[in-house]
Amino acid sequence: MNFKIDRIILIMFLGITAALAFLPNFVESEYLLRLITVVIFWIGIAGCWNMMSGYTGYIDFGPVVYFGIGSYVVAIAMTKYGIPFFPSLFISGVISGSVAFLVGIPTLRLKGAYFAIATFAFAEAMKQITLEFDRTFSVSFFQGSDGITLPISGHDNSFFFYCVLPVTFLVMLAHYFIEHSKFGYGLKAIKEAETAAEISGVNTTANKLGAYVSSAFFLGLFGAIEAYWITYITPSDVFNIQKTVQMVIMTLLGGMGTFLGPVIGATFLTLISESLGARFVEYYLIMIGGIIIVAILIMPNGIIGSLKIRKKLRFI
Amino acid sequence: MKFGALAAVQMVSFSLNPGEILGMIGPNGAGKTTLLNCVIGIHKPTSGRIFLNQIDITGMKPHKICRMGLAKTSQIMEPFMAMTVFENVLVGALHGGRMRMRLATEKTEKVIELVGLKQYAYKLSGSIPVPARRRLELARALASGANILLLDENMAGLNPHEIDEALEILKKIRNSGKSLIVIEHIMRVVMGISDRIIVLNYGSKIAEGFPEEVVNDESVIKAYLGDKLTSLKVA
Repeated sequence: MNFKIDRIILIMFLGITAALAFLPNFVESEYLLRLITVVIFWIGIAGCWNMMSGYTGYIDFGPVVYFGIGSYVVAIAMTKYGIPFFPSLFISGVISGSVAFLVGIPTLRLKGAYFAIATFAFAEAMKQITLEFDRTFSVSFFQGSDGITLPISGHDNSFFFYCVLPVTFLVMLAHYFIEHSKFGYGLKAIKEAETAAEISGVNTTANKLGAYVSSAFFLGLFGAIEAYWITYITPSDVFNIQKTVQMVIMTLLGGMGTFLGPVIGATFLTLISESLGARFVEYYLIMIGGIIIVAILIMPNGIIGSLKIRKKLRFI
Repeated sequence: MKFGALAAVQMVSFSLNPGEILGMIGPNGAGKTTLLNCVIGIHKPTSGRIFLNQIDITGMKPHKICRMGLAKTSQIMEPFMAMTVFENVLVGALHGGRMRMRLATEKTEKVIELVGLKQYAYKLSGSIPVPARRRLELARALASGANILLLDENMAGLNPHEIDEALEILKKIRNSGKSLIVIEHIMRVVMGISDRIIVLNYGSKIAEGFPEEVVNDESVIKAYLGDKLTSLKVA
């Protein structure tokens, strides 16, 4: 137990976040600020997946559903009920979390591939429901494939920077908490050997559900922020499986079940696709695919995961 | 306890008195592990009841039973591989013992000292030798603060010297006021520490009594210990 190093990392993390809070005052280029916001956005989202799947080992293949629910809740709350953005944002998180609670009770009993399939199926089902609900019941609620246009915010990039930063900060703070708490040791025990965890007194259902619900809560917030940011949502956009894949790949690349894994993975992947995308418009996806394959071959536990094993570090 | 049409354990009843060490022996497949797994809630018994201090614990979830003071070590060792020995034991103290971090840390240190795992405390549990893993299982169960420990072949694969050390630890644990059920094939261990022994065969109890009685029991000799050599022919 090297609590000293952990404290140093925590202080560094708080320091960096505090420094980032002043960033928009110094960055003149709107493009750069937007890029940094996107990076922080993806760190947070990958972190949500890591919180659940990275620590418990339950591979969630439908986290995008909570992102999508967040988007739709904020859109409907703002357009249909005229609730301002910030209260709507909060409602999004709460509803995403509540849905996760209800869905988690049956699905978290499943193990391995079955859990992955169930979560994947739920995400696809939600997409179909939002697409077909209005036509089936002849109402105008989700507005099907027409999508919903949110009120134009008129806010600039720095507004969304300040929306994304605190949420990502909370996600990472939750990681730190997981790494150092009873709850986190329970999750890690479940990942290693669930039966052994159970007979050692870990309430596996409650712990898994806790991780699943908090992950969904934060995903709902991110979904809501993105919806307000791009102001137009459709079911196939917000429930897009590609978002799930991206979360998974970023976390795997950085290292599952590590504190810095999602940070490194999301930063690396976002920046590399941005820089390659600008230069090699037609081939960049192939190049990124190649880079991911090579990285996983060299470092099967992800960048941070491999470093952790090689240097025998406990917490990063 | 039935698995489909197969009855693994049938019509077995026994009790454990406070401070007692109960030995459980029987041939492979007799149902010893299944019986204990029913007791701690891994399997739900298809019939019968289990009482802990007059409280019916039949069909309760394993973590609840653990928190009520019943902990088991597994024959097939399942350490939390990616965690250090210390953290493994800490899980038992935090969750099984429902302690706060600081208290759990102290408890963990004590337990690790007791079972003699100090030199391995900060090693990954996947990287330590088998005798140490056996002790780790024991430590994890102890850390939960359980008053009754069920040890399922906790000494399998140990050499005679290591068995002696393990026996010392068990005696220390008994002297601290805990009750134990010990499944073991090594007769020296069972005979040496048990106050009472029960014998299972084909899922039924075939004998119960003091160690000396049991080893001289006709049916036990037949089922488990083997007939005395009466004649030997070498062709």
